[in-house]
Amino acid sequence: MKITALLVLKCAPETSDPVILANASDVSHFGYFQRSSVKEFVVFVGRTVASRTPPSQRQSVQHEEYKVHAYNRNGLCAVGFMDDHYPVRSAFSLLNQVLDEYQKSFGEAWRSAKEDSSQPWPYLTEALNKFQDPAEADKLLKIQRELDETKIILHKTIDSVLARGEKLDSLVEKSSDLSMASQMFYKQAKKTNSCCTIL
Amino acid sequence: MSARHGQSSYRDRTKEFIDIVESLRRSIAPAANIVPYGNNRNDGSRREDLINKSEFNNRASKIGLAINQTSQKLSKLAKLAKRTSVFDDPTQEIQELTVVIKQEISALNTALLDLQVLRSSQNGEENNSRDTSTHSTTVVDVLKNRLMDTTKDFKDVLTMRTENMKIHENRRQLFSSNASKESTNPFVRQRPLAAKAAASESAPLPWANGSSSSSSQLVPWKQGEGESSPLLQQSQQQQQQQQQMVPLQDTYMQSRAEALHNVESTIHELNSIFTQLATMVSQQGEIAIRIDQNMEDTLANVEGAQSQLARYLNSISSNRWLMMKIFFVLIAFLMIFLFFVA
Repeated sequence: MKITALLVLKCAPETSDPVILANASDVSHFGYFQRSSVKEFVVFVGRTVASRTPPSQRQSVQHEEYKVHAYNRNGLCAVGFMDDHYPVRSAFSLLNQVLDEYQKSFGEAWRSAKEDSSQPWPYLTEALNKFQDPAEADKLLKIQRELDETKIILHKTIDSVLARGEKLDSLVEKSSDLSMASQMFYKQAKKTNSCCTIL
Repeated sequence: MSARHGQSSYRDRTKEFIDIVESLRRSIAPAANIVPYGNNRNDGSRREDLINKSEFNNRASKIGLAINQTSQKLSKLAKLAKRTSVFDDPTQEIQELTVVIKQEISALNTALLDLQVLRSSQNGEENNSRDTSTHSTTVVDVLKNRLMDTTKDFKDVLTMRTENMKIHENRRQLFSSNASKESTNPFVRQRPLAAKAAASESAPLPWANGSSSSSSQLVPWKQGEGESSPLLQQSQQQQQQQQQMVPLQDTYMQSRAEALHNVESTIHELNSIFTQLATMVSQQGEIAIRIDQNMEDTLANVEGAQSQLARYLNSISSNRWLMMKIFFVLIAFLMIFLFFVA
C-alpha cells in the first residue's frame, strides 16, 4: 500500500517528450546510494508512460514491482507509481484530485512550459504522504471501510443485546418465583393469625 | 398374407397387395359361396380392412417422405451453420431454415400421433391377425425412431450453431477495434444478440420432446456467456482483458459503480440490523416491565405478611393473661388426671 512517486507532466501530442511540471517521490525506503538512480528511473518511466497515454484515457502499466497509473486529461498528465496492493480505483481518484488541484493552483500556465520545472510543489509532497493510505484518496473506500466497522460494532451490539435478553429472562423467572413465595408467606401468616384465639 | 407386406414405408405396395388378395379371393370364393352372407360380410370387412390398412400405409409412407425431406433440410442447415467465416454470417437463412424445420417436425409429430391413434383404433375394432397388428406397430415405431433421430440431429445443429456464434464473437473482439465499443455498451449490444439467439432457440423449446432439456440448457448458457445479462453481477465485467485501454476505462467506471452498489447494499444491511436491534430492545423492554410488576407484587405480599405477623406478635404478646388462663385450665386437667390415677 505504498505510493512511491507522483508526477505531473505536460503531454505534448506525441511529438516531443512530456515535460515534467511537478515531481514528488518518496525514496526513503531505498538505500542512500540508490536514491538518485531511483529518482532518475521514476522520471524516465513517467515520461515514457505519459507519452504513450492518449488524451482522456487512463492507463495502468506493470513495471517490475510497481504499477504505474497514468491519467491524461487534455494534455495534462498525472502519473503515479504504486505497488501492487494499492487499489486501482483509489489510484485514479487520487490522480484526479492531483490534476484538479494543479489546475486550480497553476491555472493554464503549464501549457507554455517547455522544460522540466524543478521547483517542488508542496501540495504534491504532502499528498504523497497523506495518500499512502488508499482510503484517504478514495472516498468510496473510506465510506465502505467505515460502514464495515459500523457493521462489526452493530454485530457486537446485537450479541450483547441478546445476552441482556437472556439475563432479563432469568430475572423474570426469579422475580416470579419470588412473588409466588411471598404470596405463600402472606397466606401462611394470615392463616396463623386467623386461628390463634386458643393459643 | 397381409403380414408379408414389406416394412418399407417408402414404396406403396398396396396395389400389389390388393391384387394378391383379389386373386386369392377368387380362388377361395367358389368354396366360400356356401355362406354367402358371412362371406359378403367378410368381403366387405376385408375390403374395409384393406382400405383401412391402405390408408394406414398411405399415411405412413407420407410421413416417411416428409421425414426424409426434413432431414435433407437439416443437413443443409448443418452445412450453413458450419461455415465459420466471421463476416459472411448467413444468419437470416439459418433462422428461416430453423423455423421451417421446426414447423415440419411439429407437423410430423402430430401426423405420427394421428397414425398411432388410427392404428390403435384399427386394432381395437376388428379382429385383425396378430401379424397385422405387429406390422402396424412396427411401422409406427420405425417412423417414431426416425423422427427422433431427426430431432436429435436438429438439436446438434443448433448446438454447433451457438458454438460458432460464440467463436465469432470472440474473434470479433480480438480483431476489430469496434469490439471495444461493443464492450462499452454491453447492455445495449449483447443483450439483443442474446435475445435474438434466445428467440431463435427458445422457439424449438416447446415442441422438442427429446431435446427440451438440452435446448433449455443452451438458452441460459448463451445468455450467460453474453456476460452482460442483468442477472449476473457486474463484478464479472472486471475480469475482461485489461491490456486494451477502453476496457480499462470501463473497468474503472464499473469498479466505481460496483463500489457504490456495495456501499448501498451495506447501508441496507445496516438498516435491517438497526431494525432488528430496535425490535429486540422493545421486546426486552416488555420483559423488564413484567419483572417490575412481579417485584411490586412481591413487595405487596411481603408487606401484607409482615403486617399479619406484626398483628400476630401483638396478639401473642398482649394475650399473656389469656395464656395464663389456659395454662391454669391445663394444670387443672392434669390434676384431675393425677387424682384419677393415684
